[in-house]
Amino acid sequence: MKRRLLRISLKNKILFSILAGITVVSVAVAFLTRYILVSSLEGELAQRGSAIAHSVAERGGSFLLEKDTARLLSLIYDEAKLMERERLVDYIFVTDTRETVLAHTFTRPFPDELRPLLHLSPDRGKLVRGLTLDDKDVVDITVPINEGLYRIGVVHVGLSQSHIDRLVAKLRITFLGFISLIIMILFFISNRLTRNITRPISRLTRISDEISRGNFDISLDLGGQEAGWNTSACPAYTNTDLPCWNFDDVPREGLSDGGDPERYRNCRQCLFYRKRDGDEVVQLADSFRNMVWSIKLYRRRLSESEDKYRSLFDAGPDPIFVVDLKTCSIIDANPRAVDLYGYPKDELMGKSFLDLGPESNREFLSAFRSSGAACVYRTKMIHYRKGERPFFVNVHACPTSYRGKTAMVLAVTDVTEMMEKDAQLIQASKMKSLGEMSAGIAHELNQPLNAIKMGSEFLLLMVERELSVDKGQFQEVVQEISSQVDRAAEIIQTLRSFGRKADLARERLDSNTPVREVLTLVRRQFELENIHFELRLAEDLPPILAQNNRLQQVFFNLLTNARDAVNERAATEGPEYRKTVTLATRLDNSRVLVEVGDNGVGIPDAVKDKIFEPFFTTKEIGQGMGLGLAITYGIVKDYGGDIRIDSSAGAGTTFQVSFPAAV
Amino acid sequence: MPRFGGTALSLALALMLALCSCSPSRETAKPNAATPGVTDSEIVLGSSLALNGHAGYLGTQTLRGALAYLNYVNEQGGIFGRRIRVIAYDDAYDPPKCLANTQHLIIADNVFALFCYVGTPTTVKILPMVEEARIPLLGMFTGANALREPFNRYLVNVRPSYYQETAAAVTHLVKDLGIKHIAVFYQYDAYGFDGLTGAELALKEFGLEPVARGSYIRGSLDVEDGLMRIQNSGAEAVVMIGTYEPCAKFIRLAAEKGFTAIFYNVSFVGAEELARRLKGVDREIVIMSQVVPPPDGVEGNAGRDDSEYVRLLARYFPGDRPNFVGLEGYANARVLVEGLKRAGPRLSREGFLDAIESMRDFNVGPGMVASFSPEDHQGMDRVYFTRLDQDEFRLMTSWSELGRDFQALQAAHAPGGGVP
Repeated sequence: MKRRLLRISLKNKILFSILAGITVVSVAVAFLTRYILVSSLEGELAQRGSAIAHSVAERGGSFLLEKDTARLLSLIYDEAKLMERERLVDYIFVTDTRETVLAHTFTRPFPDELRPLLHLSPDRGKLVRGLTLDDKDVVDITVPINEGLYRIGVVHVGLSQSHIDRLVAKLRITFLGFISLIIMILFFISNRLTRNITRPISRLTRISDEISRGNFDISLDLGGQEAGWNTSACPAYTNTDLPCWNFDDVPREGLSDGGDPERYRNCRQCLFYRKRDGDEVVQLADSFRNMVWSIKLYRRRLSESEDKYRSLFDAGPDPIFVVDLKTCSIIDANPRAVDLYGYPKDELMGKSFLDLGPESNREFLSAFRSSGAACVYRTKMIHYRKGERPFFVNVHACPTSYRGKTAMVLAVTDVTEMMEKDAQLIQASKMKSLGEMSAGIAHELNQPLNAIKMGSEFLLLMVERELSVDKGQFQEVVQEISSQVDRAAEIIQTLRSFGRKADLARERLDSNTPVREVLTLVRRQFELENIHFELRLAEDLPPILAQNNRLQQVFFNLLTNARDAVNERAATEGPEYRKTVTLATRLDNSRVLVEVGDNGVGIPDAVKDKIFEPFFTTKEIGQGMGLGLAITYGIVKDYGGDIRIDSSAGAGTTFQVSFPAAV
Repeated sequence: MPRFGGTALSLALALMLALCSCSPSRETAKPNAATPGVTDSEIVLGSSLALNGHAGYLGTQTLRGALAYLNYVNEQGGIFGRRIRVIAYDDAYDPPKCLANTQHLIIADNVFALFCYVGTPTTVKILPMVEEARIPLLGMFTGANALREPFNRYLVNVRPSYYQETAAAVTHLVKDLGIKHIAVFYQYDAYGFDGLTGAELALKEFGLEPVARGSYIRGSLDVEDGLMRIQNSGAEAVVMIGTYEPCAKFIRLAAEKGFTAIFYNVSFVGAEELARRLKGVDREIVIMSQVVPPPDGVEGNAGRDDSEYVRLLARYFPGDRPNFVGLEGYANARVLVEGLKRAGPRLSREGFLDAIESMRDFNVGPGMVASFSPEDHQGMDRVYFTRLDQDEFRLMTSWSELGRDFQALQAAHAPGGGVP
């Protein structure tokens, strides 16, 4: 019930309240009026009746004395029937002192209901009593007829109440009519008034509903005077850089003279905001209108801003991803990214980021998470296009909040071409190294070849001399030949694998393997140059993720540099100087360390920072390109490793390369 | 346009109706009672009229004229087996007495209808009672206007009104005789005033006025003052509304004083009595209007079969001479009986009145026709004129003859004599 009450419209609420008020007042007034009227009318009636009765008593006295009942009858008849009396007087009758009715004005036998009246007679003055006669209310007024002090008769005047009833009925009708009229007028007025309130409110409600649905073009015509907004007329609307005085905060500090913000308006006459004089409804309408205009402005600004940033994202030259850190899925990608990876946009969205680069991305993500709020830059990661086609990328990722989710924004740069060039460079360098190693390699190969030659010549000789070779001796020679062939093959194999273009994929690798393989390549040469090796290779090293070939390159470079260093020192040292190169591998925490040390000239502090720079060399022009350490550094970094130098000028150098143990 | 919620409006009205609760009038319809004054064997009528006193002749003759016919009807078996009985009380032309008598007739005697009342003040006095008791009153020996206007359903007038009488007379006087100086002599009571008004109205039609008005107090014979006034005015005709005694005295004195004029009396004055009292006065022209034709027949009828009234009067009241007053009574009885017949055996007061109203051109007697309708309770409309000739009022045939006589009379008085 209460809810239904609440749902009644304002117009009806006001109307019913007014009606209720009127009703209450009317009821009160009606009852009051009726009470006053009826009581005073009854008093009047009694008075009139009394006057008639007294008149009859006065004039009829003589007739009574003369016992002239005819004249008496004529008298009371006149009194009863004359003009308006007929409506007022119901009957008159006169009795004598013995309660005999002498004359009455009835046209039927004297009514029995009035018999009781005969017994009662007033001592003096009058007696008033109400009774019912023929279903009509009648007031009987009794007055004695006296001759002097002596009672000679009694006169009864019966007054009809219908007189009063008629008056009251008339009052009732008039009252009803009046009240109905009042109600109609009030209905009309209240209707009008509330309409002035409810209509604008309903309109405002409708308009705001439209606006909440996004329809901003709806006419804000509330009073019929609007022609519609011409948005190009507002300079702040068309140019977002221009502030709107109403909309943008005017800095309070700027008001040096404590003046009115309105004085700092940009527009002299704002076409859109306004405040009119008027009642609450008008003010509401104006305020609403202002609000709508502000919303329009704000939306425009927002949409402009959105367009701006959208264009940056969509038209940006670099492929950009947004990845949700919690789900590791791609939640946005710009068109360049879509082109780069070859997936259609809808396939890319929601795809797990790890799918793009199974080997590298997981580690990348964990590194990113642990980096805190900083950005992470990773180079030469392998990602895969659609169709499992791999390519190299540099990834730069920064944390962000994207639509309320913690995410990272990554910019991906395709470096495959660069990598290929790098690889070519490395290859070129390798070739050069190979060239450097050629003397040693040739020497290395010569030994087994000589041995083979010796063996085969021995056998030939025996055959030529027709000497017999005993089985044991024969077997030994042949076995020696075979193993020397194996040795040569191994050297060649090593050479081949060294010269081969590196594989791109990483593998789980025991660090000792590339070390040993490089050793086989360079040992002989080093020994030729009187360089002594010290080896401390740990066993049971955990594997690392790297590429054998590449690591060989690294260690080869480092060993070459170590050779150069000790040779350089040897040029200035005496014969006591013993050229020593150390090779060690060990596990330190979770990192695998490979140390290449020498007791050569050392690296001065000034140079330490620069040596990894490409094209930086301390050698004379023509002796080296300065790329070796740069390449080394690059390769180490590629595999997530680290390279450190421990050196003092004149004492020696230790290069420490560390790799994380593969998980 | 505001939409008036019909519900709201009716709700409001209902509220108002409910709140202004006042005692409803408890007027109930009167219960249907059996028709008073009617039994299987008789119908009882009541009458209060002047049977004694200075107007006793009028009442007596009216009653006898009526009774003559009613006795005859009873002899024939009555109406639908019911005999008609008339209870008559004498009121001596006194209104209070008439009132008391009528109340008695209604309450105690329980009569069916009132019948044959005589006189203006008496009949007018009982009108409220007739109204309240809703009892028909038929046949009043008075031409008073108060009985005709305002229209009253319970009053059935048979004889024409004084207005009708005086209008006819004045018309003849002015148009046929060319007389312009007309005075009025009247009894100083309602009857007299009525006649005066009638004469004035009639004269107004011609753009004239009474040249003088003279009156006398009812019951007295003090006519001298009035006579002097009228004589001094130089009136050529006098319209007289009074009773026979004072009127006779007036004419006698006028003759003695040499005042010659046409003395026109209304019917109520009483032709026979007036004639008797004017024996010996032959130098005055005295005319009287009558509402019934002379009892011995309309012109052309004289000497032939006596009218029913004459015969019946001779039968039941031998010794009574047929007279105008009685003929009126007879006419009343004729209308009454016809009405009772038409009302049928199931007699009621309302039915009786409806029956009366259905009568059109009913032949009351020779030369007498009565017509009624729901709006017209005036039965007869014809006015006859009689002239006093040889101690008798005879039907007048020619006004021009009267005119000549008048001029002759005037000429006789003109030289030397004339007005003192």
